Amino acid sequence: MQKVGMTTTIPVEVVYAAGCIPVDLNNIFITHEDPRGLVEEAETAGYPRNLCAWIKGLYSTTLQNKDIKTIVAVTQGDCSNTHALMETLEMAGIRVIPFAFPFDRDYDLLKLQIEKLMDALGTTWDEVYRVKARLDQIRAKVQELDRLTWQGDRVKGWDNHLFQVSCSDFDGNPDAFEQRIDAYLAELPQKEPIKADLRIAYIGVPPIVDDLYDYLEERGARVVFNEVQRQFVMPFGIDDLVEQYRTYSYPYGIFYRLEDISREVEKRQVDGIIHYAQSFCYRQIEDMIVRQKLRKYPILTLEGDKPSKLDARTRMRLDAFVEMLR
Amino acid sequence: MICGIDLGSRSVKVALMAPDGSLTFHKFDTVSFYRQHGRMVEGQLQVDLAALGLGVPEKVVATGYGRQTINLKGAEVIPELKAHVLGAVHQTGLTDFTLLDLGGQDSKVVLVSRGKMVDFQTNDKCAASTGRYLENMAAVLDIDLAELSRHYRNPVDLSSTCAIFGETELIGKVVEGHPVANLAAGVNYTIFKRIKPMLHKLLTDTIVFTGGVAHNQALVKILEQEMQVPVVVPEYPQYNGAIGCCVAGS
Ligand code: SF4
Repeated sequence: MQKVGMTTTIPVEVVYAAGCIPVDLNNIFITHEDPRGLVEEAETAGYPRNLCAWIKGLYSTTLQNKDIKTIVAVTQGDCSNTHALMETLEMAGIRVIPFAFPFDRDYDLLKLQIEKLMDALGTTWDEVYRVKARLDQIRAKVQELDRLTWQGDRVKGWDNHLFQVSCSDFDGNPDAFEQRIDAYLAELPQKEPIKADLRIAYIGVPPIVDDLYDYLEERGARVVFNEVQRQFVMPFGIDDLVEQYRTYSYPYGIFYRLEDISREVEKRQVDGIIHYAQSFCYRQIEDMIVRQKLRKYPILTLEGDKPSKLDARTRMRLDAFVEMLR
Repeated sequence: MICGIDLGSRSVKVALMAPDGSLTFHKFDTVSFYRQHGRMVEGQLQVDLAALGLGVPEKVVATGYGRQTINLKGAEVIPELKAHVLGAVHQTGLTDFTLLDLGGQDSKVVLVSRGKMVDFQTNDKCAASTGRYLENMAAVLDIDLAELSRHYRNPVDLSSTCAIFGETELIGKVVEGHPVANLAAGVNYTIFKRIKPMLHKLLTDTIVFTGGVAHNQALVKILEQEMQVPVVVPEYPQYNGAIGCCVAGS
């Protein structure tokens, strides 16, 4: 089966329906044994130093995985750096299918985009809905895991993050993924409760460092809400596929995202919010809006650059934040 | 006696607090402190305090950059910003203020309300507004820090983007023939420009200024003029974190 790379979450039902294996390039970049090396590789090829590391990682990841000959690139609703990423990959002989989430969340435009993707990969609405029904069963389990994260005390913030981000492509194998989530849920009752009295919301793109969650838990604070990651699970249980991707908040403006964020932080009773932004990402600007709209909550803005562990500065800031919430 | 240790990036500051609250201070170069007086024992740094002339304190409280990498044996460790807030409250008697701490490599701004930290900002991955930067720039001008910190009038305009490129830029200004006083004022102003956005976000009607850079009188003047609020420099700005540790331990 043909592999199809993707630069962020897209209607993955279409890819499966066309008999292809979706590969979220972000996930294989960040779980690569040397993700920093991938970033450096892109820099050697000519990518600027002062550019988001995710884009550079996606570039090298695509080129290293020779079996990925087609990618679906989100050209609107994610990142304008993706445009140049597409162009450089096209130069390298990769087939690029553009996909745009309409900025104003227009239903018809979105439907058209999905249909164009269906044409490009070759599938039908019937097939797409058949896949959707199957994926929704799995999504429901991840949603349950998310519920247990904030209504229980045994799901670690990192596990919540990991299972949810994996719902962008279901690791290319929904059945195996489902088995993993089943096993995780089954083991939960035997797990030690997490001893952390502070409840944190994590908003913004997923972190490029992987020890944030554990570091917080060691200090008595736990993440009970992962904003964007949760969006990848399509948490609204909508039958209409177009409507599902219209309600999904990540690719649309910050104000729409903030509606979802406000609702969830209220419901999940968080003590403070961590707003993560990537170095050199336009989303850093939106921190201004986030801070104003969520003024009721203490907010710590974190910036991540290269894939690695938390640096000393960031740890110092986290310590201070946790201390402040006490 | 309580011993407060602030493991800074450049120097280790120690404050000793006697039962009557009186304080004595010691300062060590960070690298020689670790190299000459420390020993790793089971992943923890053991420091021979007695050999350092610090006696045998009944309690040791530590903070600072070093705490991220080094576990000081037998010490209670507290977060850096907490130590600074406690120190500033103790030294000034104030409870509502904006704390500005400029150290060897870090800049921090903390909003303190009723004696507690309620918000904070720290510098990014750049040291262009810190003590190290001032030392470098003074060296370029061939003057000492005391001289550098006298000037705030008619500043030469310098960009403030980078501590290292700043040197090249300053040399260019020297070549242009500006008087040293104006160049020094320009250097002091770049510090202000870097921290201004952080201060604006967390400004109250008093700034308490700590850290080694608080000895810079010109910067105090600039802060007062530009932010239009009184700037309080406590008696021991550089030992503020160490004092905060003593307070936490008492
Ligand atoms: S983090 Fe920002 S700059 Fe980087 S890929 Fe995502 S949207 Fe683009």
